[in-house]
Amino acid sequence: EVSGKDYSPTLDVYVIRNLREIVVNEVSFVRKCIATDTSQYDLWGKLICSNFKISFITDDPMPLQRFHYRNLLLGEHDVPLTCIEQIVTVNDHKRKQKVLGPNQKLKFNPTELIIYCKDFRIVRFRFDESGPESAKKVCLAIAHYSQPTDLQLLFAFEYVGKKYHNSGGSGAVGGSNQKTPFFETYSDWDREIKRTGASGWRVCSINEGYMISTCLPEYFVVPSSLADQDLKIFSHSFVGRRMPLWCWSHSNGSALVRMALIKDVLQQRKIDQRICNAITKSHPQRSDVYKSDLDKTLPNIQEIQAAFVKLKQLCVNEPFEETEEKWLSSLENTRWLEYVRAFLKHSAELVYILESRHLSVVLQEEEGRDLSCIVASLVQVMLDPHFRTITGFQSLIQKEWVMAGYQFLDRCNHLKRSEKESPLFLLFLDATWQLLEQYPAAFEFSETYLAVLYDSTRISLFGTFLFNSPHQRVKQSTEFAISKNIQLGDEKGLKFPSVWDWSLQFTAKDRTLFHNPLYIGKSTPCIQNGSVKSFKRTKKSYSSTLRGMPGSLRNGIISDPDLVPRRNSLILKAKPDPPPPPTSQDHGAEQYFREWFSKPADLHGVILPHVSGTHVKLWKLCYFRWVPEAQIHLGGFITAFHKLSLLADEVDALSRTLRQHRAGSLDAGHAGPDESRMYFRVSAHATPGTPDFLSSAFPFSPVGNLCRRSISGTPLSKFLSGAKIWLSTETLANED
Amino acid sequence: MVNITVIFSLQSLFLVGCVPGCLKICANVMSFLLTPLFHFQTSRDGVNWDLSEAVPRLPGETRITDKEVIYICPFNGPIKGRVYITNYRLYLRSLETDSALILDVPLGVISRIEKMGGATSRGENSYGLDITCKDMRNLRFALKQEGHSRRDMFEILTRYAFPLAHSLPIFAFLNEEKFNVDGWTVYNPVEEYRRQGLPNHHWRITFINKCYELCDTYPALLVVPYRASDDDLRRVATFRSRNRIPVLSWIHPENKTVIVRCSQPLVGMSGKRNKDDEKYLDVIRETNRQISKLTIYDARPNVNAVANKATGGGYESDDAYHNAELFFLDIHNIHVMRESLKKVKDIVYPNVEESHWLSSLESTHWLEHIKLVLTGAIQVADRVSSGKSSVLVHCSDGWDRTAQLTSLAMLMLDSFYRSIEGFEILVQKEWISFGHKFASRIGHGDKNHADADRSPIFLQFIDCVWQMSKQFPTAFEFNERFLITILDHLYSCRFGTFLYNCESAREKQKVTERTVSLWSLINSNKDKFKNPFYTKEINRVLYPVASMRHLELWVNYYIRWNPRIKQQPNPVEQRYVELLALRDEYIQRLEELQLASSAKLPDPSTSPAGPSQMMPHVRTHF
Repeated sequence: EVSGKDYSPTLDVYVIRNLREIVVNEVSFVRKCIATDTSQYDLWGKLICSNFKISFITDDPMPLQRFHYRNLLLGEHDVPLTCIEQIVTVNDHKRKQKVLGPNQKLKFNPTELIIYCKDFRIVRFRFDESGPESAKKVCLAIAHYSQPTDLQLLFAFEYVGKKYHNSGGSGAVGGSNQKTPFFETYSDWDREIKRTGASGWRVCSINEGYMISTCLPEYFVVPSSLADQDLKIFSHSFVGRRMPLWCWSHSNGSALVRMALIKDVLQQRKIDQRICNAITKSHPQRSDVYKSDLDKTLPNIQEIQAAFVKLKQLCVNEPFEETEEKWLSSLENTRWLEYVRAFLKHSAELVYILESRHLSVVLQEEEGRDLSCIVASLVQVMLDPHFRTITGFQSLIQKEWVMAGYQFLDRCNHLKRSEKESPLFLLFLDATWQLLEQYPAAFEFSETYLAVLYDSTRISLFGTFLFNSPHQRVKQSTEFAISKNIQLGDEKGLKFPSVWDWSLQFTAKDRTLFHNPLYIGKSTPCIQNGSVKSFKRTKKSYSSTLRGMPGSLRNGIISDPDLVPRRNSLILKAKPDPPPPPTSQDHGAEQYFREWFSKPADLHGVILPHVSGTHVKLWKLCYFRWVPEAQIHLGGFITAFHKLSLLADEVDALSRTLRQHRAGSLDAGHAGPDESRMYFRVSAHATPGTPDFLSSAFPFSPVGNLCRRSISGTPLSKFLSGAKIWLSTETLANED
Repeated sequence: MVNITVIFSLQSLFLVGCVPGCLKICANVMSFLLTPLFHFQTSRDGVNWDLSEAVPRLPGETRITDKEVIYICPFNGPIKGRVYITNYRLYLRSLETDSALILDVPLGVISRIEKMGGATSRGENSYGLDITCKDMRNLRFALKQEGHSRRDMFEILTRYAFPLAHSLPIFAFLNEEKFNVDGWTVYNPVEEYRRQGLPNHHWRITFINKCYELCDTYPALLVVPYRASDDDLRRVATFRSRNRIPVLSWIHPENKTVIVRCSQPLVGMSGKRNKDDEKYLDVIRETNRQISKLTIYDARPNVNAVANKATGGGYESDDAYHNAELFFLDIHNIHVMRESLKKVKDIVYPNVEESHWLSSLESTHWLEHIKLVLTGAIQVADRVSSGKSSVLVHCSDGWDRTAQLTSLAMLMLDSFYRSIEGFEILVQKEWISFGHKFASRIGHGDKNHADADRSPIFLQFIDCVWQMSKQFPTAFEFNERFLITILDHLYSCRFGTFLYNCESAREKQKVTERTVSLWSLINSNKDKFKNPFYTKEINRVLYPVASMRHLELWVNYYIRWNPRIKQQPNPVEQRYVELLALRDEYIQRLEELQLASSAKLPDPSTSPAGPSQMMPHVRTHF
């Protein structure tokens, strides 16, 4: 085993050792194609296939790195194996090409290798000067290792297994930056109940050891009035035994609940009634339940996947100039933006139900683990400013995706079972980006953070995005541990590194690019009418003091805790007035949105999306970052972001100095640069103006990828012919 | 009992959700939404509010009449109001207590006034006036059938909106506004050419057109090759459409390549040649000591250039011009642009086409035209900046597409033009002085709304500038409001800036003496028009990406009348300004604290990073 092989002077050797990566195959004298129209920028080097990624190590040190923003796990030219979508080998002389699947033979010696990546990159290598046999071997190795048939063959298992071996069985893997709750424990859920002030809800442990359902978390939250015994009985009637899961509660007591369909037709009415009664009982005003059938209202996962495939075709695959003329209608025809709109719009309607009509909302979906993830998350991002912070957003993904059993393994297609693939997580990130675009000061994170998060789903190291359910992790890793003789002790399965441990991927300095300089944190003062004010929580704040108070008392002064119905209380107060009949709802929602949009948005309150065609836009950073023709050199929003960061940094520094002055500290100036939360900082030697490495694709460098534009700013170059073939296997008639 | 509300479709509800569907709207919101945002605010400057009526009035503005009408708002339905007509504007104030709707429309934006309904019309609000505006909206008023109120209003509006047809002066000549800056002094051609380093060994300033004898649509002062005599120029003029000979627009400070503009050569069907013209172009080519060919960009599509031969025009052929290479830029003519903008209006006013927004937008071809204009300008700029060759630009007459191309290329090449005053100079030079026919293209004070000479060429140019400012948020000193203000006063007739077709006409009318310049308004209140992100950079060439992937419809201009499309101040810009204020406040507080502590502590150096040390390098540059 070649663990820790020091194969490159330019790569961080520590990382390789730390990962215990194994080099499978390599070939030298490879040319990586950079530009489409000329070979003068091409790079010579060695192409390596490991069990984690493919690497390209340049013979000469990379020319002129003008900025360093790199993933600690990946070199500039590296592609993680799980990010590879398709491998095409070409032989120029014989005019042959073949899409390489796993365990396939290749009857010709490839002169060229084109790798299509899931993140829209296209990477191209030429083997004109390399040994034909070793070139072929590398291609076959890449094909084999990038398309594993079994989950346990993914690199993360290898990595974690070795980690356990070396550390003698302790689960000390990865850093435990654990500000982000994982919702793996009882206490995480309990804290979330308290944070939202939800009364009438309790943590339920009947699924400990996954005794009830293998696609639910071990702990989840249910109406207090439902006893464990009832839940156990009901669970049989639900698809996947997925009974109702509480997601979140509004300060007015309305809850957001997600639930699978009741498959038992005979029991359907009865169980449905019982569940709804219980949810009503958990509402301080005993309000009714509003059900939203997502399967009937929203596009399904196949439609979303089809839209995504078309979007990818359009953004990367088609020759740039040829798609220009019909760009807008082609974009419309992908239906991607239409679907993003549909989810935003539907989520906003549910916000109205929760916030204005004071009704609890139940999201219904067949299995309750696909569309529900998006809608539940978006509703919470709109309603609760906590989820617009970095920690909050991460906890939301833990809560509504990882723990709720979103099938990352199948939907991301880590194992080549393409019929289940669907980019629902990306759709959620895209919809979040729309909100960020419309309310740029309402989020603690930047669009770079969202893009990097999306990329992280393609790195097979983090347990976060690897499994279909928490149970699958436990089951598979226990099996794996047994087969590898790893003593697990008390642990439930192997502990994989978490994606939230960002230090595994980025340095502290690089992580600052996740911060949005526009964000107005709760403690950050802001200027109103020329005077500095600190943000104060409004009356509607998410403190729990007024929670569960009967309607008549909400504006009163009395805050006697006894007046709040106790948790688990079975005594029902008199039911308040019934909500307005459904016919008036159209009008109500209209009124609600109109009023909301007529006032300036409170960035620490509810935010609602504009969903007209002119407002929902294409997320260019994510989809165009590898397309050199679409890059604005020294331009794009990042140039304004840069200026903002400098100013925000300066304001931060001044505020620190002020604080220290007030504290009477004499070494006031010791506000070290490390304290800064900004990537771009004010420094004495920096020249004013836009740094010359900025482009609309920053920080994603185009240099190491497919092409580089030869005339700066002029989209004149044509796309290379090879890139035209993002082929499906069946179109390749001339193989072998 | 538990009442289960089953989901029912809320479709389309959200789309109309933010639309005020009834009249009862918070007062400020209404006036904010329905007045031309920027105009409303700018018109407050130098405006005397007549307190008895609370109707704004400019010095020199006189009241003509007022009437009770019903304003049929396309977004909120009928609103009862009183309309005040002056010799400058139409001003409507709602008479309903729960709405503070205000319309403030300069009569200059009116393109067409039509009567709707007749004496026999039945139905509510079916009798009145329908007014088509040049700025992407229509206004409808319903009036009472009895008492001739419609006839009066129609006649008064027609008279003051179209003064030319009634031998009345355009309002700009009556405007008595005073500003503390004189916008007419912004552009001085000699100074501008001196800034470019002219005259030099190869280029001279000539006064041959002092009395507009050589070319009546050119400015008096021209820059021509040193080696070309005045007689040469006269001979060349005979071979160029409307005598618009090739003259210098811009010279590269280092490589000395130039941008030269002119009209098409008079080649005609027989393929005429002119030795003087050929020699003249060769002289231009040689001015930068390059041996390469002169690049000619003919803005038109190839077929249009060929078709122009039938009317005596044409283009430079290879046989006649050995040392030049010609490229067509495929930009369509004024008629195509006018029709395209009409289609844009169709999909955005009064309602925004929702179901197929992107394909509807595509079918207007507006962005495609923008793309072609920008692509052409990029090519001009790239040629010149790379020093490959000098560039000659023309279209047919050299006052529409040519002005777009030269001015946009100059904006890309020369950062000076990206400042507020620089941009004013650019407009003044490439558009106003070189005879873009503003009077014909806009139809100031003219009632002939269907005139085939009207076309949104200048609007298209401003749109291109906006696209560039979107792609380079830190490169321009001015903000979006600056561009919108220019467009508002392109039509308003409050200023003399855009009146008449050429310099000779303006001189004859003594426009600079008798009217106020738009730049007076802007330059006396520059802060309002400044982009907070502006970073001054010398010598940086800006190449926008002229791709449909980046071009956008300018929603804040084209859809600004629609309250559904929320017009909020740019949140990023707003936050930046807030942070600036915060920084200043902190610095001030620190200074106070320092002062207080230095009174106590004799040695101020104990605080190494106090504001005095910190400020020099933390101050953000502008």
